[in-house]
Amino acid sequence: MRLLLWWGGRALSSAVTLLGISVLIFAALRLMPGGFAETILGPFATPEQKAALAARYGLDQSVLAQYGHWLAAVGTGDLGTSMISRQPVAAELAARLPVTARLTLLAVAAAVLAGVPLGVVTAVRARPGGGGGAGRLLSGLGVSVPEFALGSLVVFVVSRYGLQTTGYLLPAAVLSIFAISATARTTRDAVLGVLVEQHITAAVARGETPWFIVRHHVLRNAAGPVLTLTATVTAYLLGGALIVEYLFNLPGIGSYVVQAVGRRDYAVVQAGVLLAAAVFIVMNVLVDLLVGLVDPRLGRRA
Amino acid sequence: MRYRLACGAAAVLTATSACAGGTAAAPGTPGGAGADATAPPGYLALADGKLPAGGALTFAVHIDSGAATGLDPQLADVATSWQLMSLVYETLVTVGPDFAPKPALAESWETPDPKTYLFHLRKGVAFSNGREMTADDVVGSLRRLLAAKSVWRGQLGPVEKVVKVDAGTVKVTLARPYTPFLAALANVPAAVLPMKEIEAGSLDPAKQMLGTGPFKVKDHRQDVSWSFVRNEHYWDKGKPAADSLSVTIAPEEAARVAAVQNGSAALASLGNVDSAAMLAGATDVKVATQATTDFYYLMLNSRNPKFADPRVRQAVNMALDRKQIAEVALGGQGRPTGVTPAGLPGACDPATLPSATGGGAAGAKELLAQAGAANLSFTLSIYATEPAPAVAQVIQQNLQQAGVTVKIEQMDEASWAGKVYGKAPATFDSALSWFAGYADPGMVTTWWNPDVAGFNQGFMRADKDLNTLIARAGETPAGPERDKALAEVCAKADTDSQMVPLVTRPATIAYRADAVSPSLYATEGYGNLLRLVADARVKRG
Amino acid sequence: MKMLRSGRARAEIRGGARARGLDPLSLAGLACLLLLVLLALGSLVDAAGDPDAIVGPRLRPPGPGWWLGTDNLGRSVLPRVMEGVGTTLLLSSAAVLVTAALSAGFGVLAGYRGGYLNELIMRVVEVLYSFPAIVLAVLVAAVAGPGQLAALAGIVLVTIPLMTRLVRAAAVAVAGRDYVTAAVISGARLPRVLGRHVLPNVAGTIAVQGTYALSVGISVEGGLSFLGFGVQPPQASLGVLIRQGGTYMMAAPWLIIGPGAVLVLAILSINVFGDGLRDRFEPRETRSLV
Repeated sequence: MRLLLWWGGRALSSAVTLLGISVLIFAALRLMPGGFAETILGPFATPEQKAALAARYGLDQSVLAQYGHWLAAVGTGDLGTSMISRQPVAAELAARLPVTARLTLLAVAAAVLAGVPLGVVTAVRARPGGGGGAGRLLSGLGVSVPEFALGSLVVFVVSRYGLQTTGYLLPAAVLSIFAISATARTTRDAVLGVLVEQHITAAVARGETPWFIVRHHVLRNAAGPVLTLTATVTAYLLGGALIVEYLFNLPGIGSYVVQAVGRRDYAVVQAGVLLAAAVFIVMNVLVDLLVGLVDPRLGRRA
Repeated sequence: MRYRLACGAAAVLTATSACAGGTAAAPGTPGGAGADATAPPGYLALADGKLPAGGALTFAVHIDSGAATGLDPQLADVATSWQLMSLVYETLVTVGPDFAPKPALAESWETPDPKTYLFHLRKGVAFSNGREMTADDVVGSLRRLLAAKSVWRGQLGPVEKVVKVDAGTVKVTLARPYTPFLAALANVPAAVLPMKEIEAGSLDPAKQMLGTGPFKVKDHRQDVSWSFVRNEHYWDKGKPAADSLSVTIAPEEAARVAAVQNGSAALASLGNVDSAAMLAGATDVKVATQATTDFYYLMLNSRNPKFADPRVRQAVNMALDRKQIAEVALGGQGRPTGVTPAGLPGACDPATLPSATGGGAAGAKELLAQAGAANLSFTLSIYATEPAPAVAQVIQQNLQQAGVTVKIEQMDEASWAGKVYGKAPATFDSALSWFAGYADPGMVTTWWNPDVAGFNQGFMRADKDLNTLIARAGETPAGPERDKALAEVCAKADTDSQMVPLVTRPATIAYRADAVSPSLYATEGYGNLLRLVADARVKRG
Repeated sequence: MKMLRSGRARAEIRGGARARGLDPLSLAGLACLLLLVLLALGSLVDAAGDPDAIVGPRLRPPGPGWWLGTDNLGRSVLPRVMEGVGTTLLLSSAAVLVTAALSAGFGVLAGYRGGYLNELIMRVVEVLYSFPAIVLAVLVAAVAGPGQLAALAGIVLVTIPLMTRLVRAAAVAVAGRDYVTAAVISGARLPRVLGRHVLPNVAGTIAVQGTYALSVGISVEGGLSFLGFGVQPPQASLGVLIRQGGTYMMAAPWLIIGPGAVLVLAILSINVFGDGLRDRFEPRETRSLV
C-alpha cells in the first residue's frame, strides 16, 4: 500500500514537472523576438499573407487559448503540424527517433562496457591515501575535451583519408569519450565507497580473493550511482546530440528541434522539448525502480 | 544553429551557399578562379560530352527550401529554393554564360516594338506526367504570377496583358518599355506551371512539383534530402545526362567538406572563403569559385535620428574601405560594387562614385564634424552566418579610422529579420545583408525604391529623384545611353546612402573530379549552382 | 552530467584529523588556473597587441609580429587567445557564483524547511533539470538576445538544478543533526540556524559542485558559440576561437592549437582541483584490495 502511494506520488510529481515544461517552452517561444510570420514568410509577406498563416495554425487566438488547445491536442496524442514541412510533427519525430536512438545506444553501450571496468579497476588498485593520478588525469581529460572540437577533428581527418563518416560508429565514438570518462569516474567513486564498508572487511578477513569480493560484494552495492548516471546520460543523448548531429549530418532529434527554434516553427519545438523531457523523467523513474531492485538498501530513497 | 532561415529571410532575395559563407580559391588566385583550365570563356567547367550518359549524381547543399508558401515557385523568394525548383520547372527564356537571354520553353521571340513581346513556344514540350504543354499553360502561369502577391511581381515590370495568339504563340504587352523584362522572365518564379491540373484542383503547387524540367521529384524529406529522377518526357533529348540526382541537406560546413572529401557527395556548395586552401591536399577534389552578381549592402536606417542627416550616412559610406572588405573578409574573392552589380554588362564603376573619391576616413571625419556628429557611435545588427560577421568586423575597423564607434550585434536570423523587417518605423541603427544581383544591372536597383520594395519602408525614405532615375534606366534600351542612365542611378544611390552597396558575394563549389564532370558558368545571377546540372556527366570507375 | 557522481550526501566536514591538505595534482591544477587568470589580465593582453586590429596578411603561420600566427581577418592570434581566456573564465566563474548563491539559498531553504516550499522549489528545479540543456541555453540566448548576459543566464540555468538538489540533500542531512536541534531548542532564530549551523556544513558540497559547474559552464559557452549565440564579435572567447579554428584545422592549424590547448588545460585543471577539494571536504578512507 505504501509502495503504491509512493508510486502514485511519483507519477503525480512527474506530471506536474511535464506541465511546468510545457508552460516554460510555450512561453519562451512566444517571448522570442522575430515572430513566426516574418520568419517563415520572409520580409516580402503582405499583412494578408501573415494573417492567413496565423489563422491556418491557430496563431491568431489569444496566447492562453493557444496553450489550451495545444495541451488538449497533446493529451489526445496530436503533436501538431510543422509550419515549414506541413507534415505532422509526430511523423517527423518518429522518422528521426531511430537515428537518435541508435547513436544513444552505441554511446551508452560503450560507456557501460568500457567505463565500468575502468572504474572498478582503478578503484580496486587505488592506494590508501589517494593516488591514481594517471587515471584521474585521463578521465579528467576525457570529460574536458569539448564535443565540437573533437568532432570537427574526427570528421575532417577521417574524411581526408577517403573514409566514410556516414555511419553511426564515428559519431557514437565522439559522444562516448565523455560518457566513458564520466562512467569510469562515477564507478570508481562508488566502488571506493563500498570498499570501506564492514562486510568487505569481513570478506577480506575470510580470505576471499579480490576479484571474488568485487564480483560478489562490491558490484551490486556500487550499482546505484552508476545506474543513475547511465540513465541521465541516456536521457540526455535521447534528447538529441545536437553538435554531433550537425558535424556528421545525422538527421536526429536535436538538430530538428534547434533548427525549428531558428524558424519559430512552434509546434516542432514544443513537441521535441516535451518528448525529450518525458523521456528524461521516465528514465529517472525507471532507474529508481531498478536501483531499488539491485540494491534494496537504496530503494525508495526519496 | 547555423541554420537555415538564415539566409533566407535575411538575404532577402537569395540564399545560396551564401548564407553559409563566402567563397574561396587558394590565396593568391584572383576571384572567379576556375577549376578547369580547359573550360571555354564564360564557364568554370564544361561537362565532358564523351562520357557515357546515365548514373546517379549525389550533391550536398547547405539548406533546404523551407517557407510557409511551400513549393510554389511563383512565391519562392530565396535562391536556395529557386535552385531546387529549377530542376523541375522551366521558364520561357533562360540566361547564357554572358547573361544574354537564351531560348528555353520559347524557341524564339520577337519584339515588334519595345512594348510588345511575341513568344513562339517550343513544340513537343510535356510535363513530367506526360501531358503536353500548351499556350494556355503559359498564359495561365504568367497571369497567375501577375495576380500573386510575390516578390517577383516587382521585378517583372509594367506588364499590361498576356494573351494567347495561337496554339504556339503568346503575346505579352507592356505599358512602357522595360529593358530587364527578359532577364526577369528567366528566373524560376516566372516558370510555366501545369495550369490545367492546378485549375482542376488535382495539383496543389505548394505541396507538389510538376514541371517540364529535366528532373521530377521522387522523394523529399524536409531538411534532410531530395531525391530526383530523370523526366522521361523531357523535350531536350539526351538530357539530363544522369539518371538520378540526390541532394543531401547538410547545414554544417564541416559535414559538406567531409562529404566531398570522402566521395559520399560528388559536388557540394561551400560557404567558407578559404575552402580551396582547406581542401588543397584532398585527392581528386576540385574547388571552383563562381562569381555572382549578388552583393552585400549596409542599411543605414534613415528613420532613426542617428542617420536622418544624409551627411552622416555619406560619411559612413566614405569611410568604408571596400577593397579591404573584399580582400580581408572575403579572402579576395569579392569585388567592390555600386548599386549596379559589378560584373554585369553596363554596371557602373564603383571607383568613380562620390563615396570613393571623397577622401576616405579623413573626408568622413570632416563631414561628420560638419554634421555635428563628430563622436558618432552606432550598433550594426548582423546575423551569425559567415561571412557576415567577418564583413562587419572589417567595417568596424574601417569606421574606427574615422573616429566612429561601431558596436556589432550578432543574432540568429529570425531575430535579425524581426528587428530589421518586423516593424515600421524600424528601430535598428544599421544592418548588414545581401541582395541577389540577378542578370540585368537595372533589376536590383528596383529595391532602392521603397514604394516598389515594400520591405524597405520601415527604414528607408523614398527619394523622388532616385526613383525617377531608376525608372528611366529601366525604360532605356540597352546601349551607351542606358549605361549612362545606370551610372546616374549609381551615383544618386551612393549619395543617398540609405542602403550602401559594398562588395559582391562569390559562391564556392567543390566537386570530385573522379565522380562527376559538371558544367558551371563563371558568373551566376540567380544564385543557382544547379543551373546546368542536366549537362553533368557521371564518371564511373 | 559530469557532476552526477552520487546521490548520497557526504557533506559533513569531519574532524580535522582526517581532513588532508590538497594533494600535489590538485595543487598543480590550481596553479594552472591561476596562471591562466594571470594570462588574461588586461594589461598583459594589451602588451601582446590589440586583439581586434588587423595587423597583417590573413592566415599566416606564427612569426615575428604575430607570435601565434594570424587569423582569417589578419588579426594576431596571441592577444585574441589571451582575451578569450579572460572572457571565458570570467563568464563561467561569474555564472558559477550566481549558481552557487542561488543554489545555496534555495537548496538550504528547501532542505531545512521542507513542506510546500520544498515542493515548490524542487518542482521548479525538476523542470529545469528535465529540459534539454542545449535547447534551454539556445532559448535563453534567443529571448535575451545573444551576448555575455545570455551566455551567463544560459550557464546558470543549466547548472542550477543539480547543485540545488545536492545542496538540499546535504541540508536535509544536516537538519537532523543534534547540534542543529539543540540550536533550535535553545531559541535560535531561523536565519541564525541557517547561517551558523546549516550553511557552513553544506559549503563543501557547494565548493565541490562549483568547480564542476565551472567546467560545464565553459562547455556551454563553447556550445553556444558553436551555434552562433555566444559572445559578440569582435570579442574573443575560447568557444569562438575554437569554433573558428576548427573550420581552418587543416589550412591553418595554429588557429586551433592555442585555444584548444588552453581550453583543455582549463577544464582539466578545474576538474582535478575539484576532485582535490572533494577529497578535502569529504574525506573517505580508502582500501586497496590488491
